[in-house]
Parts: sequence; structure tokens; C-alpha cells
Amino acid sequence: MSDDLDDIQAIFFEECAEGLATAEAGLSAMADGDVSAGTIAGVFRAVHSIKGGAGAFGHAALTAFSHRFENVLDEVRAGRIEPTPGVTRVMLTAFDVLADHVAAAQGTSPLPNDAAVAAALDQVLADRGVAEAAPVAPAPVAPASEPVAVEPDPFGFEPVTAIVEPFDPFGFEPVTVTLDLLDDAGPVVADEPLPWTVTFVPSDAALANGGEPMLIVRELEMLGGTITGVDLSRLPSLRDLEPEHAYLGWTISVPGTVDESAIGECFDFVAPESIVDIVRDVAGDAAPAMPSPAPAAVEIAPVVAMTVPTLIATPLAAPAPAAAAATTPVAAPASVSATAPVAAPVIAMPVAAPAARPARPDEAEAQRTHEVAAQTIRVDLTKLDMLLNLVGELVIRGSILADRLSPKDQERVELPQLSRLTREIQDTVMSLRAQPIKQAFSRVPRMLRDLSAETGKQVILETTGETTEVDKGVIEKIGDPLTHMIRNAVDHGIESAEKRLAAGKPVQGTIKLSAEQKGARIFVRVADDGGGIDRARVRAKAVEKGIVAADAVLTDEEIDQLICAPGFSTAETISNISGRGVGMDVVRSNVEALGGRVEIASVPGKGTTFTMVLPLTLAILEGMIVRLAGQRFVLPLANVIETVQPEPGQVRPTTTTGEVIELRGNYLPVRRLTRTFGFADNDAQTPEESLVIIVESETAGHVGLMVDTIDDRREVVIKSLDQNLHPIRGLGGATILGDGSIALILDIEALVGPSAPLTRYPQKGLAA
Amino acid sequence: MSKTILTVDDSASMRMLLKASLTAQGFKIEAANDGRHGLERMMEVKPDLLITDINMPEMDGFELIEAVRAKPEFRGVPILVLSTEFSDEKKARARSAGATGWITKPFDAAKLGTAIRRVCP
Repeated sequence: MSDDLDDIQAIFFEECAEGLATAEAGLSAMADGDVSAGTIAGVFRAVHSIKGGAGAFGHAALTAFSHRFENVLDEVRAGRIEPTPGVTRVMLTAFDVLADHVAAAQGTSPLPNDAAVAAALDQVLADRGVAEAAPVAPAPVAPASEPVAVEPDPFGFEPVTAIVEPFDPFGFEPVTVTLDLLDDAGPVVADEPLPWTVTFVPSDAALANGGEPMLIVRELEMLGGTITGVDLSRLPSLRDLEPEHAYLGWTISVPGTVDESAIGECFDFVAPESIVDIVRDVAGDAAPAMPSPAPAAVEIAPVVAMTVPTLIATPLAAPAPAAAAATTPVAAPASVSATAPVAAPVIAMPVAAPAARPARPDEAEAQRTHEVAAQTIRVDLTKLDMLLNLVGELVIRGSILADRLSPKDQERVELPQLSRLTREIQDTVMSLRAQPIKQAFSRVPRMLRDLSAETGKQVILETTGETTEVDKGVIEKIGDPLTHMIRNAVDHGIESAEKRLAAGKPVQGTIKLSAEQKGARIFVRVADDGGGIDRARVRAKAVEKGIVAADAVLTDEEIDQLICAPGFSTAETISNISGRGVGMDVVRSNVEALGGRVEIASVPGKGTTFTMVLPLTLAILEGMIVRLAGQRFVLPLANVIETVQPEPGQVRPTTTTGEVIELRGNYLPVRRLTRTFGFADNDAQTPEESLVIIVESETAGHVGLMVDTIDDRREVVIKSLDQNLHPIRGLGGATILGDGSIALILDIEALVGPSAPLTRYPQKGLAA
Repeated sequence: MSKTILTVDDSASMRMLLKASLTAQGFKIEAANDGRHGLERMMEVKPDLLITDINMPEMDGFELIEAVRAKPEFRGVPILVLSTEFSDEKKARARSAGATGWITKPFDAAKLGTAIRRVCP
């Protein structure tokens, strides 16, 4: 069971993460002026759910804080608190603390100090007159001798931790019964507590809404109670008897050893308007304690007679309505109609069919918002991964079959159809794990606002490609790197307002956040229009920290990469923002752990772009199978522009970049991949014996890659490379070919990018 | 013959928690993730008791209770609300919609069982 609970709790924390994202998006929208009912309701529901689960799992601090937060949201939702920018700001701060509380409940961070925010939230409530700390105290438990109508909390569960819950339930109206006879009775001192006399007269509607007063009577019997009297006075003649009306009343004697609250609990779900009276008997007075002047009105009710052999005729000490009924046995309340048996006399509300109920505009909107979220099922990720792997195997088997069968045989066994189906299955399975990167981006606007406030720098955010679908695991893991890149961009990238004006730039800095999928990779970019990397300073700092030798010769790109060196920090005063001990080195190692890399492009005075190049964990890639020194590699077809069989003299050596190919009057750089990967044995091969594949790259434009031959064109399943192969630039993954052999997949960007053909990051070579 | 309870809550952890606690007490548990599915499941399962949350995206608890009570065959089925909310206003609204009782989250499994037997012996 505890294992089960852990599992359930894990799901709860997943829900918390979703709820926090929803709340954050909603609060951000509110901060941007969207205070529509749907938005507010979304935030409320998110916080509300967190509170509910937190309580169930015993996270008291989280429960208490989310409750506070929810109170404010509830008032905002009800329109009693105006969501002014000031209120929204408090809620945004509260959100941060809520997130910290969730993390604390998860055990990943210490308990946050929420006193200031809690006070701010209470202030917001107080400003409209709802003070959290002014609970309506429940009526004190009546002393034994004092007859007081019990005011049961029909839903008598423990109130949520740290919350004082106002008591009254479902509009149950307390009925005060005063028995003159008891007024003179002094405090009772006895060894054996005197029994309780419980009077219970269900309201007419007690049988409506699935209620059953007899169950209450039985529960009292289970507590040791004995029915001492039945009030049949309201029982009509058989002809007038409504099967769904309650007519009876009971007097039950319960042993004095039973706790009064235990008796009260039996009435937890009692219908409103019912009469419930729990009175301790008076010493010396034989039970029943009440006078019974009207024996004529009492008869033995068969239903009770079955369970209680001795019935003592006792009418009920009841307030006016019931007393009136006692004198006129058949008098049913006027509101009781023969055609509407379910109607409750007092709080009767028409029971509307759902179809006839017009949706309020805000609800309709909320429904639209959540339309997409409906109809989902939670599946363990490992199951999906297993499915994904199996489908991958299926694809590979398919291509092995294709290899072995002649085209005619392939048609005969309908292999093409099978392949198409397999492909569709794979796409579908892939899409199960893929989620829009929006989830990771949704935190950014919020963060930028905070950063703006902290630094005084004005920043505009432009986001593109948020619908790009990325593997769920990737989304989860890029959150921290992304956060740091954004902090970095604001803190170090965007200049102060004065500097920007002096440089002829608009005062507001711009950060462009984008995501796109290219082939098997996802590119997530954070581009600022700030001052660019101050290379002289970065270099000086790196020398000072002993990261590079003072006389090292470094290219601009290598200097830029130094930012990612462990322990590197250029901020002259450690700022609150990026100087939190998490450096770009952590960003890099996080991204590399995902099988990705971080690229930095900086133009002095113009800005810096950080790019996380991330893998799709598993995808089908359309690739060209090429040979290098006899080994097969896969070149992503998406990058290929054309293939050239060079004429003699078309490929020429140059001094700087090695070799170029002349193509229709243009000169493009050429890289011999055999040399890049160190297959030096056929380095002497002439270009005429090779093929040059012209590829397009994001960073280097068109580049020619020299390969030995092209074998085939084929769809391959990308398998991630093992960790230890990550530092090898130029490899994006591996695949299993149709014949079962393994081929490495080339990463074009890394092969032809600015820092190519480095095989490792500069500081690793320079650090010593 | 164990009683069948339909639980409606948009939180999967809450549904699982309810199922775990109540199955252990001998109830048979069916679940739905919002009001709309709750109503559909209600028709399929025809449970002995409905336990529903209030705040749910598609058709909230009040609407679900009204819809269930509007069907003659469910007029007498006990309905308990299980919510973190506890305002009198909400409780009154639930009662007039047709709820039998209200239980405030977080629940104690044993007390929940007692409460359930109070309306569904």
C-alpha cells in the first residue's frame, strides 16, 4: 500500500507541475491584462487541485499556503476582488512561493519562508474585508446540564490543516430547543455519565437526495442507542402517504459513555430543516426526560417494532412546526405537493436538465480552454519507451526484408504496404511522447518580468516556434538550462538603458526565444540584441582563472566557448540573477547529457545567440548512406542540396580553409570527411575519385562534403549515442541498417559549423 | 455483495487515492475524470453511490449532481461531494443541486468509509 501511495504521490507531483504551469501561464496572462473569467478560473482550479492533493498526502505547509492563495483567487474569481496590477503582482509572488512549497514537499528544496507573501495575501483579502484570521468559532460544546440544540457539522471531517473552518454545513438551520424543566438542574456529578436523549425529526425532504433517516437511527443503535419513542403524529392516512416523504420522528436514548461528538457525527448528512436535539439526561429523572402529555398521538410503528421490542410513548420536544404537526397528525406542510415529491420545502430549487442549462459565458470559455485537455489517459513513460523501441525494431526488420527481397517479391508480399503501416505506427508512437515546447517556454515571460524588475532593464520577449513538438524528456530537462540562458541574456547580454541609447539602440532590449526542428535535431535559441560577448574581458578572466594559458592563441569562437568553461563567471559584481552558482558550464553539461550541444554566436555590439541543439530521442531520418574509407555513414537528406562528381581541377586547395570546389562560378569550402574523422589512409584519394555532397548548414551556409561513394537512400531509425561518444563532434546518432550492421549518423551542423573541425571543446584542450 | 462507488475527480492522484483507500474497505470503485465522463460512467456503471469533486474542467460537480438527479433512475442514489472547498454557500448549492452530503478534503480513509456507510450501508 505504501508503494502504491508513493506511486500516487508521484502522480500528484506530476499534476502539481502541470498545475503550476497552468497557473503561471494564467497569472502571466492576467499580468498582461487578460482578466477574463476563464483565465482566472483556470488559475484557481490549478491552485485548488494542488491544495486538495497536498492535503491528501499530508503536506501541511503546502496545504496551508495554497489555501491562503486559493482564498484570494476565489475572491477574485467571484469578482469581489478586482485583479488590479497590484493584486496580480502579489499573486505572481505567491505563485513563486507556491512552486517552492511544491518543491519542498517533493523534498528537492528546503521549506520556503512564506511569511511575507502570506501577509501580502491576507492584506489583499483584508482590503476587501475578508480577513483570513477571523473564523466563526463553532458553538461551544454544551455543558451536560444545558440543553442546546446541537448544531452538527454534517460534513464533520477534520478541517484542512492550519485552516479554521467556519462550521455550518449545508445551510442547516440550528433549531434551539429550550426545555424549561431543565433550567433548574444543576451540574451533574455522577460516576456513570447519564445517558443522552437524542431527538430526531427528519424534515419532509429527508428522503430526497438519496437520504435515508433510518440509517441515522441505525447508526445511533450501533452506538448502543435504544429507540425510546417514535413520533407518528405526522403520519398521514395511507391514501395521502407520499412514499418519498419522511413522516416519522424518533427519540433515542444513547449511553452516556458515548461522546457527544460521536452522536453529532451520525447526523453529518442529515437533511436541512431536520430537528436534531442531543440532551444529557438529568439525574434522578428517569429517561425519557421529556414530558409525554400526548400518548394519543403515538402509535407503534411497525418498522420500529421490528427492531425495538419495548417502545415508550414519547412525543417530541419540538419547536413550533413540529409541535403543530403533533396536534394535527395529517397536516403536511403546504409546500408538499403530490406531484413533486422530491421538492425540498425550503431550499427547493428546480432541478434542471443539463441540456437545458445555458452555459454561462465564462464557463463556456473555460470549457473551450480545457477541451483539449479532456479525454486523456496517463501512461507510464517506460511503457511508451518500450513500445517505441519495439516499433524501431519493426522498422529495422522491415528494411532488412526490403534488402533481401527483390522488388518483385516485395510487391508480391505487399511489403510496401507493410512499410507504410509501420511508418504510421512509428509516427503515432513518437507523437505520444512529443509535447509542444510551449511548456518549457511558458515560464519565460514571468521570469523576464522579474528580471526586468530586478535589473531595471526593459526587455521585450519575442517567441517563435512554441508549437514545435519535442520529446517529453527533453522538455523536462531543458527548463533549467533555458532559465539560465535567459538570465544570462538579461544580466550580461542586454546593456543598461544609458549604454543602449549611447549605442543608438532602442531602450528596450529584445530577447528572441525560438524553437524549430531541423531533421533529427531541435534548435532552441535565445538571442539578445545586447552588446555581444566582450571577448577581451572573457579572455582576461579565463587567463586569470587559469582556464587558459596567457599566451594561448584563441579564435573568437574559442573565446566565446570559454563562457561554458567550469567555474567561469565574468560578472564583475556577482549579481543576484545569474551569479547563483549555476554557470553556463552547467547549462552545457545538462544539454550534453541530453545528447545535445550548446552553440554560441556573438557579434560585438549586436548581440549574442545561444543555441541548444537537442536530439529528438528517436526519430525516423531520411538519410543518404555514404561510405568513408569503407565505413558506412548516414547523412541526413534534409541538409543535402546536390551531389557533384568533381571534374579534374574543380576542387582546389587554398591556404586558409583547406579546399574549395568551384560550382557554377561560386567557390564553396570542401571538407574531406575521411580526414575529419581521421581515416587518413585514403587521404591521397583524388577528388575525381570521390563525390562531393553539397549540404546546407545553418551556420556555415553551403559546404561541400567529400565522401567516397553513395550507397543508398533510406529511412533509418535514430538511436542515441552512448554518453562517451558525445564529445565527438560531427556525430548525431547511430542506426542499424537493413543488413544488421551499424552506421553512424552525421551531424551536419557540427561538421561544418564555425568551430569545426574541432573534435572537442576548446577549453578541454586548453585547460591544462 | 460489495457496493459500487463511482468517483469523479479531475485529479488522477485523487482518483487513485480514493480507489486505493476504498477498495481496501471492500468497495468496488469506478472512476471518471470530469463531470461529463462522470455522467456517462453513471449510466454505464449504475453505482450505489456517487462521490464527486466540485471544481472540474468539463462539467463541474454541481452540474453533474443536477444532471444525475434529473434522471429518474438516479433520484435516490446517494451523492457525496468530496472537495477542498467548504464554504456554506457551496454546500448549500450542492445540497440544492441534490447532494446527500459533503466531505471536506483531505479525507481520512477510515472516516471516509464511515461517512460512506452513513449513506450507503
